[in-house]
Amino acid sequence: MAKATTSIRRQLILMVATVLIVINVVALWSAHIYANRAAKESYDRLLYGSALQMAENISLLDSQFFIDLPVSAFETLALSTSDRAFYSIMNGQYQVLTGYKDLPNIPFTQLLQQSIEKEKFIPIYYEAMYHGETVRFVALGKRLLEADSVNDVFIIVGQTLDARRAAATEISQMALQFVTLFFFITLLLLLFVIWRVLQPLQAIKQAITERSPQELSPLEANVPSEIAPLLKSINFFMTQLDNTLSRLKRFTAEAAHQIRTPLAGLNSQAQNALDETDEVLRQKQLQHILESSNVLTNTVNQLLSRATLTHRYQSHPFSPVSLDHVIKETCRELVVWALEQQVEIEYLGDIQVTVNGDEFALKQMLQNIIENAIKYSPKGSVVEVELMVMDELSETSVVLQIRDQGIGVPDQDKEHIFEYFYRSPDNFASGSGIGLSIAKEVAEHHDARFHLKDNQPTGLIVEVIFPQRKGLSYES
Amino acid sequence: MKVSYVLGLCLILVSHIVFADAAQQTTYITFPSLNKQPKYQENVLAIYGAINHQAISPLFKAYQEKYPNVAIHYTESNTRHLYEQFISQPNVRPDVMLSPAMDLQFKLANDGYALAYDSPELSNVPKDSHWRNELFGFTYEPIVTALNSDILVGEALPLSREQLLNLIRSKNHLLDDKIGLFDIQQSGLGYLAWAYDGQQSRSYGRLLEAFGTHQARLYTDTSSMLNALLKGQIFIAYNLVGAYSYQWSQKYEWIKTIMPTDYTTIIMRTAFIPRDAQQPTLAKRFIDLLLSSEGQHILANHSGITPISTKVKGPYSRDELSKLPHGIFRPIPLGLELLIQTDDAKKRLIYHEWDNAMFTSPNDSSSLP
Repeated sequence: MAKATTSIRRQLILMVATVLIVINVVALWSAHIYANRAAKESYDRLLYGSALQMAENISLLDSQFFIDLPVSAFETLALSTSDRAFYSIMNGQYQVLTGYKDLPNIPFTQLLQQSIEKEKFIPIYYEAMYHGETVRFVALGKRLLEADSVNDVFIIVGQTLDARRAAATEISQMALQFVTLFFFITLLLLLFVIWRVLQPLQAIKQAITERSPQELSPLEANVPSEIAPLLKSINFFMTQLDNTLSRLKRFTAEAAHQIRTPLAGLNSQAQNALDETDEVLRQKQLQHILESSNVLTNTVNQLLSRATLTHRYQSHPFSPVSLDHVIKETCRELVVWALEQQVEIEYLGDIQVTVNGDEFALKQMLQNIIENAIKYSPKGSVVEVELMVMDELSETSVVLQIRDQGIGVPDQDKEHIFEYFYRSPDNFASGSGIGLSIAKEVAEHHDARFHLKDNQPTGLIVEVIFPQRKGLSYES
Repeated sequence: MKVSYVLGLCLILVSHIVFADAAQQTTYITFPSLNKQPKYQENVLAIYGAINHQAISPLFKAYQEKYPNVAIHYTESNTRHLYEQFISQPNVRPDVMLSPAMDLQFKLANDGYALAYDSPELSNVPKDSHWRNELFGFTYEPIVTALNSDILVGEALPLSREQLLNLIRSKNHLLDDKIGLFDIQQSGLGYLAWAYDGQQSRSYGRLLEAFGTHQARLYTDTSSMLNALLKGQIFIAYNLVGAYSYQWSQKYEWIKTIMPTDYTTIIMRTAFIPRDAQQPTLAKRFIDLLLSSEGQHILANHSGITPISTKVKGPYSRDELSKLPHGIFRPIPLGLELLIQTDDAKKRLIYHEWDNAMFTSPNDSSSLP
């Protein structure tokens, strides 16, 4: 029983979930970065706005600084309701004119540089610890002109970070809520889609489960094109199974019949022999009994050998077999029996062939074919066994032919001859009727082709063609 | 229980020790703990405040009934003096600072002197009545004008600043040396209210001119101004704390209290716990009481001070206040806007205007900047 690998459903769900999680984590991370940047920028602008409003209200009056800070500058800062704010206004010599006198880390060098370059002052943002809290500062310069004097003032405004942190957290949390919602909705949809996609497999399973074990007709189910080949294979397999099963049934019935008939014959012959008073006739009847029992033995032997072969197919791996050697050996074993039938066996062929195969099975095949040929040969005829190499298109194959000069097989019977217990209606020779079918099975088991041809002027040619395969080699 | 309560009250009344520091107008009052068992270790809650001790004592009593082992040492002084003392004497900080000078209180909190405390009672009071969890507004008081009605002689009561100016103009020299004002350089509350006027009204300049021309008298606190009004030393007192003025109006019917109808400034008294308070736990309990319905109820019924909570009922509740004639209520926001009031440059400008108006001879008054 093949082990089920990881379920498709589980794999799909796992992959989909992984992809979703990765996407969502990336989305969340981006949202977090964006939230921080957005909060930082907007609150920096407020800070800058406040500094600008302060700068706006600083002027020179008779070489004296006139500072009248507007409430709006502080109202701007108060938009962050829970933050502390600090500010300081300094003259060019960094003396504090108003505001906090001890602000930390003022970027004097940058301010001085901007002052020297005499260009537009640009705001400098920085963070520093003040009164035990991190404070975001903006430092801004302003140039005051009066008659012939130039004075710079510097405005520093700082605010703690609560409001921007809160804003960033709020944006992040909204993103988190959205992403979580998105995650579950997508996951649900995908689960639905996966269920929907795998539904046909479930349907096939259901259809098979619901059948009775005897029912082997093709499955009827509407399935997507991806699943259709599977269904087709299942149906093909079932057809095969059906064929095999019916053949087996027929075989069993025939086998029973074939054994029972000779047994019944034996029985009545034996009865006759018992009753017979004429010694000569009795002798003759006993002879018949012996023949019938031979036929029966033969049949049972064939059945047994077939069972053996079937078992071997499953249990014996192939090994290199010298085909010409096996053929010669078989001919040699049968030659005495053939002569008793007044039939000669002639082996033609001088090549040496090795195939990958099962020696026992091959020998069985040869035996069956040759015995069959001898059985149907008229007295005094010759059964020719030939092994040769044939070039067929681009392929070189090894061909084994067994030719007899019997009555042959009419074309309409050729296709039935391999069926178990089939015997030509005009056949009077004793035989089990399963010899050739076993031979054909062995040939096919070795990937060889099995043909029946007509011999000239009369007779049958059984041809076994071993195609070019790994393990086939020959020498002339 | 009842007996011991009465006994305790008597003891309190007997043992009120009142020192008065004449130079700084500072008063020290001790409220001994109710628990008189000698071996009991007494805790002291030190409170600095610019609230009349008679007004605040009902609250202290309520506190001590809850926590009988606590003695309260109350130091009453004017707002600016309290602020300066807080800054200059870091070793003797109180456990609770109470003051109506919102700007000075705010500056201390902004500069990190206040202890953060999430009082469970904050839900009782409006959201904009506290800043962070450090500075807690607990009253809602109008800034009013008080007037001795004898000066009217048939003229209508001046309800707005404009009408007040007209009255001053019409009475002219009768009012010389008869107008009372906060000395904005001495009183934090006075400066706050005056600077806020500067932000609100165009009549500010003309008021200043009129006050200068008539050589207004300057006071450091509401009580002394009301005393002067009562004694006839002044006829008009501008920018007083409403609570006291209304109490005096009830007692002396010729003293009229007016909430100017052009706009009425509202201030909040605020409280905070200094970061280095000796008894932060006791102080937190005091803040809880101050903001609780019980504390707010005491203010509205026994202290004569309008509490911040809109829910409590009483003769001095916000409901009752809004029934009196008044202008648009303009509460001074408790937030960073207050930093402008503490700005040195702004202060110099306002002081400069003020000095020019107050300390130049009436004839030169036309040369005001």
